[in-house]
Amino acid sequence: MSIALKDLIRNPSVAELELVARYAALKADPRRERLFEAFALTGLPHRRNEEWRWSDFKAAVGALEASATPPAQDPLASDGVATLKLTPQGYVAPVSLPPGLRLLPKDDVQAMSGAEDAPLGALAAALSGAKNAPATLMAEVTGETPVRLHMVFSGPGAINAARIVFLVRPGAELQVSESHLGGAAFSTALIEYTLQPGARLDRVVYQRGGKGEAQAITALIHQEADAETKQTVLAFGARVSRIETRLVHHETGSRATLNAAYLAGDGYHVDFTSHVRHGARACVTRQVTKGAVVDGGRGVFQGKFHVPRNTGQQTDASMQHNALLLEDGAEVFAKPELEILADDVQCAHGNTSGQLDAAQLFYLRQRGIPLVQARALLTEAFIAQALEEAGVHDEALRAQAQAWLSEV
Amino acid sequence: MLKIENLSATVGEGEAAKTIINGLSLKVPAGEVHAIMGPNGAGKSTLSYVLTGREGYEVTGGGATLDGADILAMDPEERAAAGLFLSFQYPVEIPGVPVMTFVRTAMNAQRKKRGEPEISAPDYLKKSRDVAKMLNLDADMLKRPVNVGFSGGEKKRLEIYQMMMLEPRFMVLDETDSGLDIDALRTVADGVNALRAPERGMLVITHYQRLLDHIKPDKVHVLAKGRIIKTGGPELAHRLEKEGYDGVLAEAV
Repeated sequence: MSIALKDLIRNPSVAELELVARYAALKADPRRERLFEAFALTGLPHRRNEEWRWSDFKAAVGALEASATPPAQDPLASDGVATLKLTPQGYVAPVSLPPGLRLLPKDDVQAMSGAEDAPLGALAAALSGAKNAPATLMAEVTGETPVRLHMVFSGPGAINAARIVFLVRPGAELQVSESHLGGAAFSTALIEYTLQPGARLDRVVYQRGGKGEAQAITALIHQEADAETKQTVLAFGARVSRIETRLVHHETGSRATLNAAYLAGDGYHVDFTSHVRHGARACVTRQVTKGAVVDGGRGVFQGKFHVPRNTGQQTDASMQHNALLLEDGAEVFAKPELEILADDVQCAHGNTSGQLDAAQLFYLRQRGIPLVQARALLTEAFIAQALEEAGVHDEALRAQAQAWLSEV
Repeated sequence: MLKIENLSATVGEGEAAKTIINGLSLKVPAGEVHAIMGPNGAGKSTLSYVLTGREGYEVTGGGATLDGADILAMDPEERAAAGLFLSFQYPVEIPGVPVMTFVRTAMNAQRKKRGEPEISAPDYLKKSRDVAKMLNLDADMLKRPVNVGFSGGEKKRLEIYQMMMLEPRFMVLDETDSGLDIDALRTVADGVNALRAPERGMLVITHYQRLLDHIKPDKVHVLAKGRIIKTGGPELAHRLEKEGYDGVLAEAV
């Protein structure tokens, strides 16, 4: 070990000391060491880290102990789709895997690119491999018919650190849904998707954590030529939660749609962070994020497009973030960032936050719709655009949003 | 039915508050249609908003009752459930909410408030089809978001569609004729006339006499400077059309 364990993290908190102890108890592995060091550079991110200024995990994660709240209900589990469970105790594979999907549990930790940019992802990678879990769970998707898979990240425990790495072979299609339901004081999941030429990924994410929990979901998506991702996220937050997507267009013709909606209630914090790098000519990114927040809730949007001078020509990218502050005391922080160094590009962005339109509210109430219901109807319509690409999960997500709106 | 007594109201807040309705009294008995005419800035639209409870308007004196119930003490949605309907001068666009969803939600919310059962989907659809046919409304329009991308005439016809679906007991029509061509005016008027009934009342606010050729009022009131300065029969509307407001206003002083 190159650095003494106790010196890995400066001024460690109780939780960070526990994380170091957990790491030390795992089988030594040079890649694991590198990943944990990548995490240790920041430790649990806090407000003095520029990328985490609004989402302070160090302050929110106390002692690592069982969560006070059970995992949320799973609205996406349905009709016999193969379900993979990732719990604090390890993973439980579905009884039978769909054709075209292979699970490959690895005894050695697999490398992770850009670990320093995603400290909580690196932490998930460094800590996976305890007990009955493999050091890295890998999955390969092949074939001509789309592969459907549902993944549940939940379960009682102190910490749920899970990692799964997908390789989608040329022309193959993965339709994946992820439910991140909490149940542990601290959950951090790292999901990596590599899409080979012409591969497709449909990813739907549902996140709902407890009021005392911290949740981080990090996705790394690598796209080769003509690959396409469609992503839809619906998040309700936790004491602190971060849903981060880091996507790289590596080859020409790659396309991505990254949509998300967040609804933050009193005491809940939702952070959407995305980083898209246009590392090849003529790639397309479409991003729509919609949020609604009530008094005591907090929403964070950080979106970045990076378009390099040489590789990013003919980029077509748009970013939209619109937030509704439903009550006084609601907080939304937004930082859209377009770093465009290429000159032959089409890049657009829009960022708004405001309140429901008084004229619309009055119109609905004049027709007899009570204030609470009118507010819910307008808010649902407001976020609907962010959910409309969710395919078979569109209705389930909308039902969750409606249920939340009818209660606030 | 509708009784407005010595009503005064301001718009705006604090020192910027401006008195727009200034001691207005008016009675519309059940079964009657009354028209309110008046020059720009007389307070016509303000009256419709004060009656229906829009924010930003403050009642500073007097009162208004519908069948004896103090409507000014109610929330806007309670007034609607009590049977008060406003056909807006400028109908509002509601992106993302289809007309069908909107009107059915409104209908059932009113019914719930009144302790009545919800309308069934087939009953709603049948009624909607009948009403849409009468108003020459395309079925596709009812699937689109409320008023989004509708022409001025379509918006006004959609107001009447909502009115016929909700079957209110008292209707305020705020410049329903503005933006309508002759044919649309006739269609809209047919819809309004179909709702005339002994138990219903109506207040038709307009600049021009031409709407009153199609919707025959029992009485015509002239509103100026926030109060009714003259009341007469349908012939008063013709006189205003011919002579303009100046003559009548001068007489009243």
